Amino acid sequence: MNHQTANGWFTRFLTVLMKELRDHIRDRRSLTLALIYPMLGPVLVAGGLFISGKTLQGDFRAQYLTIAQVGIEYAPALKQYLEDNNILFVPAPDDKEDAVREGRLPVVLLIPESAKGQDHFTVELITNLGRVDNLKITARLTSTISEYNEVVAEQIARKAGLPKGYGSAIKMRRINVARDANIAVFFYNMMPPLMIFMIFLGGVHLAIDTTVGERERGSLEPLLLAPVERWVLLAAKAGAALAFTAVTTVVNLGAFRLFMAWAAASSEHLVAPPGWGVFALTLIVAAPLMAFAVALQMSVAVTSRSMKEAQIYLGLLPLVPALPGMVMVFAPMNPTDLTVAVPVLGQMLLINQLIAEQSMDPLHVVIATLSTTVSAVLIFLLAAKWFRREKMFVLG
Amino acid sequence: MIEIETLTKHFDEVLALDGLSLTAPDGQVTGLIGPNGAGKTTAFRIIYGLLVADTGIARVDGVDVAHDRMAAQRQLGVLPDVRGLYPRLTAREHIRYFGQLHGASGAELEADIDDLVERLGMTEFADRLTKGFSRGQELKVALGRALVHRPKNLILDEPTNGLDVMSSRAVRDLIGEMRAAGHCILLSSHIMSEVSALCDRLVVIANGRAVVEGTPDALRELAGADDLEEVFVRVLGDAAKKAEAAQ
Repeated sequence: MNHQTANGWFTRFLTVLMKELRDHIRDRRSLTLALIYPMLGPVLVAGGLFISGKTLQGDFRAQYLTIAQVGIEYAPALKQYLEDNNILFVPAPDDKEDAVREGRLPVVLLIPESAKGQDHFTVELITNLGRVDNLKITARLTSTISEYNEVVAEQIARKAGLPKGYGSAIKMRRINVARDANIAVFFYNMMPPLMIFMIFLGGVHLAIDTTVGERERGSLEPLLLAPVERWVLLAAKAGAALAFTAVTTVVNLGAFRLFMAWAAASSEHLVAPPGWGVFALTLIVAAPLMAFAVALQMSVAVTSRSMKEAQIYLGLLPLVPALPGMVMVFAPMNPTDLTVAVPVLGQMLLINQLIAEQSMDPLHVVIATLSTTVSAVLIFLLAAKWFRREKMFVLG
Repeated sequence: MIEIETLTKHFDEVLALDGLSLTAPDGQVTGLIGPNGAGKTTAFRIIYGLLVADTGIARVDGVDVAHDRMAAQRQLGVLPDVRGLYPRLTAREHIRYFGQLHGASGAELEADIDDLVERLGMTEFADRLTKGFSRGQELKVALGRALVHRPKNLILDEPTNGLDVMSSRAVRDLIGEMRAAGHCILLSSHIMSEVSALCDRLVVIANGRAVVEGTPDALRELAGADDLEEVFVRVLGDAAKKAEAAQ
């Protein structure tokens, strides 16, 4: 007499789901992907925000700048003007070009001996604009020299009895409307693509390990001998991958909020990131995206011939949705009824809106949710169809 | 009882089964023997619902496997050639998982697991993760999960492959007990002494079809040899000659 109790498919689904969860909670790789990897993006972004906050703090022009020079003594008026503007001088080393090239000095000012006693002379700057950190110092030095140029031109014009402003036909004054806070917003905008990258990475190991991995280890054949519908088996495995993806996303969002708030708090010039409520809404809006990512992972995994092949394909998969997201950091796109209907893109646009603390159109939320969820179901059904193929589970 | 009738199966251009028929009755051990690539594993996979035959029927206790795979699987316990364990589950968790998949649960299932752990000599390692298990330990876990739902029919593919003397003897004793309890047992093995000691009936297959069947004694008489290995060699030699002549 055997047990023979024909439980419903949902009981069988739960049995497989619980086994996969127990199995992978004990797996260091699955846990690392779910708990450690999602911290890396937030640490990098918050680190960048922290450094920016420190760099931009205070009035840069009021800060003293020390410039290496050769021949500043031949242009005492220029020297005085620059020193009045908080630019101090030290002698340049003999290997001045190497020093700039290697980043030991940001810029070196060269004044020829022929400048001695002259109003008109040429100065040279040795600089390395390949290094972003040199740009700011070089720009301040050149703009201060330009200001001196205008002062001298004005003096010459006055001596010659020419009208004021003769030496420079057009005066330019910059009105910078950017606040330091905008730098913080720029960093916050980097969060959506990084978050979407993690959504497509969180369940990858499970998707591979529970399908093509089981086949390679030889445990899939014994499993398929159990009286369980094939689609139930795949759905339970997808459910486990979805659970890990959800944990990954929660850790990722939580880390972004915590680390970015900490970085923003380090400078009074940076605005705080959106509140926990916005992050909770982001999680809800991203839910269909998680289902889509897992369905795609399962379909790739069941059609791969080996674990290695699946790892290659699924390792590249997160880049596909994340790259357009990165482009949108620099060239934002506004959601329309049509664009939110594109699976994945819809969630991306809505999450961008949430993080920018803009109001969302409820219709857009409905369209994006339906579109991505229906796509996820269709992709999963395709994967379930492929999972029934003999080639899926017969080795050799 | 397991019955298969005129099974054929192709893998692309390769003909793996060519009209194979056999019956494995209850209360007997039926041995399916043949050289590598003869079609034994393919036949087993069709019986337990992993593959679908091109033509022919496989039945388990009268249930057509192609028609109702899950009902047939509930009557079957299978020890496949590939043992395939989960390295992060314990031996006991393996057996419980497969019991649950067959619909068992609660105290009755736990009692059955305890009984299997005892009978298969798994007490010492039942609660250890299976990573690093010896082949003998792996086989016992695989047997445990095949038997946990108390199947009436058993398919054992190379049941003592890679086992030491003591483990092999334990498996043979278990097969004997199952036969005495009226189970239908269909096994394949390359170890002729084991086949001789265990099987009530033998079916020799080559090139996807049964070339001869009968009791071990009947086959010895037919081939004119006392040693079953010699019988096997002569029967296969005759089959090869017939195949050449047919070509």
